[in-house]
Amino acid sequence: MKPERLYSWRNAWFRWSVGGVFVMAIFGIAVGFAWLPSVQKDYMAEGLWASICRAAGVPTAWGPPPASRRSVTVSTRVVADPSLLKKAGAQEVGRGATLALQCTMCHGARGLSQADAPNLAGQYPEVIYKQLLDYKHGQRHSPVMQALAGVLSERDIRDLAAYYAFLPRPTVSLVRSDGVRVPALIRVGSPMRNIAPCASCHGGIDQKPGSPWLEGMPPAYLQAQLQAFAGGGRRNDMHAQMRNVARQMTPEEITEVARYYASGPEDAAGSAARP
Amino acid sequence: MPQSFWPARLTEKGLLVQLARRLVLAHFWVAFVAFAIAILLGEWQMYVRSPLHAWVNNPELYYRSVTAHGTVMGYVMPTLVAMGFGYAICELALGRPLVGLRWAWAGFWIVLTGTVMASVPVALGRASVLYTFYPPMLGSPFYYLGIVLVVVGSWIWVALMSINLRLWKKDNPGRPVPLAMFGNVAGAYLWAWTSVGAALEILLLILPAAFGFKDTINAGLARVFFSWTLHAIVYFWLMPAYIAFYTIIPRAIGGRLYSDTMGRIAFALFLVFSMPIGIHHLFADPQVGSGFKFVHAVFTVMVSVPTLLTVFTIVASVEIAARLRGGKGLFGWVKALPWSNPAMLAVTFAFIMLGFGGAGGLINMSYQLNETIHNTQWVTGHFHLIFGGAIVIMYFVLAYDLWPQLLRCEPLSARLMRTQLWLWFIGMMVLTLPWHFVGLLGMPRRMAYFDYSHPALQPQAWGVTMSAVGGLILVISALLFVYILAKAHRGAVVEPEAYRFSTAVHESSHVPAALNSFGLWLALMIGLTVVNYGFPIVQLALTPAASVPVIPMGAKR
Repeated sequence: MKPERLYSWRNAWFRWSVGGVFVMAIFGIAVGFAWLPSVQKDYMAEGLWASICRAAGVPTAWGPPPASRRSVTVSTRVVADPSLLKKAGAQEVGRGATLALQCTMCHGARGLSQADAPNLAGQYPEVIYKQLLDYKHGQRHSPVMQALAGVLSERDIRDLAAYYAFLPRPTVSLVRSDGVRVPALIRVGSPMRNIAPCASCHGGIDQKPGSPWLEGMPPAYLQAQLQAFAGGGRRNDMHAQMRNVARQMTPEEITEVARYYASGPEDAAGSAARP
Repeated sequence: MPQSFWPARLTEKGLLVQLARRLVLAHFWVAFVAFAIAILLGEWQMYVRSPLHAWVNNPELYYRSVTAHGTVMGYVMPTLVAMGFGYAICELALGRPLVGLRWAWAGFWIVLTGTVMASVPVALGRASVLYTFYPPMLGSPFYYLGIVLVVVGSWIWVALMSINLRLWKKDNPGRPVPLAMFGNVAGAYLWAWTSVGAALEILLLILPAAFGFKDTINAGLARVFFSWTLHAIVYFWLMPAYIAFYTIIPRAIGGRLYSDTMGRIAFALFLVFSMPIGIHHLFADPQVGSGFKFVHAVFTVMVSVPTLLTVFTIVASVEIAARLRGGKGLFGWVKALPWSNPAMLAVTFAFIMLGFGGAGGLINMSYQLNETIHNTQWVTGHFHLIFGGAIVIMYFVLAYDLWPQLLRCEPLSARLMRTQLWLWFIGMMVLTLPWHFVGLLGMPRRMAYFDYSHPALQPQAWGVTMSAVGGLILVISALLFVYILAKAHRGAVVEPEAYRFSTAVHESSHVPAALNSFGLWLALMIGLTVVNYGFPIVQLALTPAASVPVIPMGAKR
């Protein structure tokens, strides 16, 4: 018996399978790239070739951008890059410590504030870096901080960030044995209002770059910042992350969350005022 | 009298040789133990996000669990079943010892190493990226390296299947390849080409970022690469089930296979059409053009053809069995079927679930209809019904069928098997039908908890509760499955009957060259992939704006 030749147009299996697949592909391409686009007016506005390119997924601008999009308010001009995550050396920390002498009046000698200014001890370096630059650029407003940050160089800011990151901060635990109930907003957020759990960025569940740790911060400061985010007074959060959250929060929730975080880590909880 | 080609050739004494028996058992046991663990995770997920449980305190735990469940059920379990079953088919169908036994063991250990390597970072919460990876989310590099090892181990199996078939063909020129081996090698080739997409994604895009060489990733391109794997992998999972439909079921219920040729055509069509259709998973993704989405939808319709052929052929084979047993009438033969036979039950259940799941699948693949259910719980319900239902129930059957051969034990208890299969069927229906329903109500997938007290979500609460109950039934069934298999280890050693695959109604000594080899179908598979994927991949690779910053999972604690 002569072996059957498969790869030949005379072989019916070859003819039908290759031909069939070819016809199907041509049919699909013709309908998907020419016929379906042809019934969409805006698709065809710039001619057949442009519509084929669109159907193929070539990035194109669909007409000039609307006027509203041309002038965008920038929330921050800080660009995060991996160099921020590098561990600082002793030199940077030392320089930062010297520079930090001018911060001690409000932020405390070791970065733990007695006034209603935020605690900085052990704060993530990229957080300090971003906030100081935002003050410097005028993206975040405070008469005191804008004046102080305005004279700092990029390197000063990196050194300050390194110094405060170097200072020890109390350990954090979301689960507390002292019976304080963790507010739902911090644990699980509010899905129907599109509020993610605080703990999924600010530590406890996960820590996202750029989000500060909050435990033990002065309640007045936390409350004021949430109110500023909600009211639009503060707008240096990227993609309006915090503004979208704070706007959805009720005044009672703002108080509750601020109080909870202010009550601090477990060991400090006993001394903090609680409802 | 010319020897019949069709009954599967057997090794001496009709048994697997001792070493390969251990090889197949090792694959099956690792697969089924992993399966039993992963199903517990699945049920835990169903429970904690149902109204029966308070909101899970740490949603990250939920995603950790989803990642582990998906990785085991999607990569580890079906790969090991396909490999183990493939080695068994190779010996039973070709009737000679496996060539490359040491390589096969090496492949097994590589898969096992990969599984452990991927599980550790997942368990530590360092890779909660879900088994679909979803860049720009990024987990520990060890997770991805583990997956790569699982795939590399399975590539050894692909090579061995190809080599064994080639050697057999050399010794048996002109003879038809046994259908089981034809399907087996088709599945192996399908997997080889399918896994290339995810391999490219991991090696070119994910690993450089996971190791920290880059802090951006071309997320659009990564998703297109993954879609290359994501849909065709389903057909790789499905191949052992279809081989069981064609080559185990007709024999197990005392009938004959209606058409051997139809089986070959179905396997060949799967090779051609399962690959170039994955972009239907990206219908809502902006980085792929609508033209390509439509073309992929067209070919997705085509992939239902081999399934319809299979359903027709197997139903016809079942009817033959019924008529051989004296069944009469247009539908009266249904009563004559051996309903006490676990294989009969299983194929019935599989087809019912395949029917519901397939109908849902046709909705998923329609460019427009998909809009209503994209990324809802409907999709989760769909693939659990098709894969967990129709396919995995056939994994049970093939394990039950091979077990007396592998262990040299008495046939397993039919009563326990029936109970297990009934539980699986009922559990899967109770799990997935409400799941589809809440998806239609708009419930999104991949959420750790829902606010059921909200008026908009309240109507979905009972459906989610039902699904959790269905999941519990599945857990019981899975544990019973493992129990049945484990119990057989303690019985007396008996020499089982010689194993054979189904016999076709019309045995022929000749099949067309096209249906006795793979070259034509592989060429069409690769050609269609180039046509359907070539442009989107090149275009996205050349679009720098498609790169976005990575989001490390569990970076700092």
